[in-house]
Amino acid sequence: MSARDALARRRSRRRRARRERSRRPRRSARRSAALAALTSGAFALPGLAPAASAQESFGRYSAEYAYSRYSEDPLPKSKVPTGGERDRFEVDMHQMHLGGPLLDRVDLGLDVVHEKMSGASPWYVIQGANGEPLQVMSGATIEEARTDALLEATLLFDRGQASLGGGISSENDYFAWNGSLRGERHFGEKTTTLSGGAGFSIDSIDPVDTDLFPTRPSHEQKWSTSVFGGISQVLSREAALQSTLTYQREQGYLSDPYKQVLVAGNPVPDARPDSRNQLTWLTRLRHHVSPVHGTLQADYRFYADDWQLTSHTLEVAWDQAIFDALHLIPSFRYYSQSQAEFYGPWFDATGDGLHSSDYRLSPYGAIAWKIKAETRFATGSVDWRAAFAWQRYLSSGDYALGKVSVANPGLVSFNLFSVSLTARF
Amino acid sequence: MRRLALALLPCLALAGTACAPVRPWERDVLARPEMAFVPDPLEAKRSDHIYFSKEGSLPGGEAGGGGCGCN
Repeated sequence: MSARDALARRRSRRRRARRERSRRPRRSARRSAALAALTSGAFALPGLAPAASAQESFGRYSAEYAYSRYSEDPLPKSKVPTGGERDRFEVDMHQMHLGGPLLDRVDLGLDVVHEKMSGASPWYVIQGANGEPLQVMSGATIEEARTDALLEATLLFDRGQASLGGGISSENDYFAWNGSLRGERHFGEKTTTLSGGAGFSIDSIDPVDTDLFPTRPSHEQKWSTSVFGGISQVLSREAALQSTLTYQREQGYLSDPYKQVLVAGNPVPDARPDSRNQLTWLTRLRHHVSPVHGTLQADYRFYADDWQLTSHTLEVAWDQAIFDALHLIPSFRYYSQSQAEFYGPWFDATGDGLHSSDYRLSPYGAIAWKIKAETRFATGSVDWRAAFAWQRYLSSGDYALGKVSVANPGLVSFNLFSVSLTARF
Repeated sequence: MRRLALALLPCLALAGTACAPVRPWERDVLARPEMAFVPDPLEAKRSDHIYFSKEGSLPGGEAGGGGCGCN
């Protein structure tokens, strides 16, 4: 071997070594990116946790804020007595969520809601000169605020997770504290997930102005317990289904202390049974349509309780991705409920002592549509999401599935505007 | 019995195709945020609270939490 050949071989070995050195990190980077995609794909499966943000942000810090303006339409002149109050509720709502890892497999999340409400609310219904129902509103404008805080710890297992939460809700005449425990277990290659949990709430109400309205109770309590069970199933590479059954039992004071009802021509306090058993069956379908970069989100809910009130809700949304950075999400919601067995616009006689003219227990239907625009972008290691949404909600006896002979005059229609900003890092 | 079997056959066929195995590395689409059952949790809580206080039904999906003095 000549000295020239030996030199050429040494140079060739050095070039190969340099190429190997420069390749190694790239291969490693490709491997970790693939692994990250795989684990995030398996981890972030919809329905593997009740709240999507929990999956998306597990192990990451997240901060979210949303402001909403809820505004009810004034009642039409034809629905109130001559010269009667027509304006209704307006609410400014602030929502905040903070979350992040506390320990290796434990995440902590805090949700706080603060809202300020003002306006008048339906009081009782009277009969007009032609027999038509007319809504009498509460005379004074109500000003109040509600603060709600919920702290939840989530423990991640290899094949599932468990969450323990507790919170409070407070208004000037109301206080509640609640707790919940829920968990889920994955089966197969995380194609099936079973979830379940239980919760409770203890509510106290101390109505105001009891000196002006002596029939109003001064202090009442309500206890609620609920359990749920659900299944989430991956149907295909682009479709998933979730079905959940929730049962809730309420006991205690379930009437509305601020509402009255006309019985034999006289306004008397709203009076409802002291227990309520409620059942909700909610099924959700998600289906991505790759050729058009859109996703169908369809939810159906059936509800029934032992007050003989049943309802059907269908909500359909289409999430259209535009260059992946902008999402336009129009949605439509239909709702229809039957009346509670002790509901009536007014009553001729006391009967069994249970009576309410609350429009929320009356037969009616509602339609709502919403348009939402959401943008997603990243700056450094922070992923941002900003969204704006407007919703219009209309309710009427004419929208109900069944025939409604006398619609409640207090049925509500509203606008809802909201903006939100989310950061994950 | 035969009618019942005939009625169930399409359901079983549908269920069979619906649950075709999807391997973990085939779940990029399922992992997209808009495929989540609750794509925007703050929005979902807001909507649930409004519907709960303005309609006669109970929101579904889980148990416990929240509330208001709006029987």
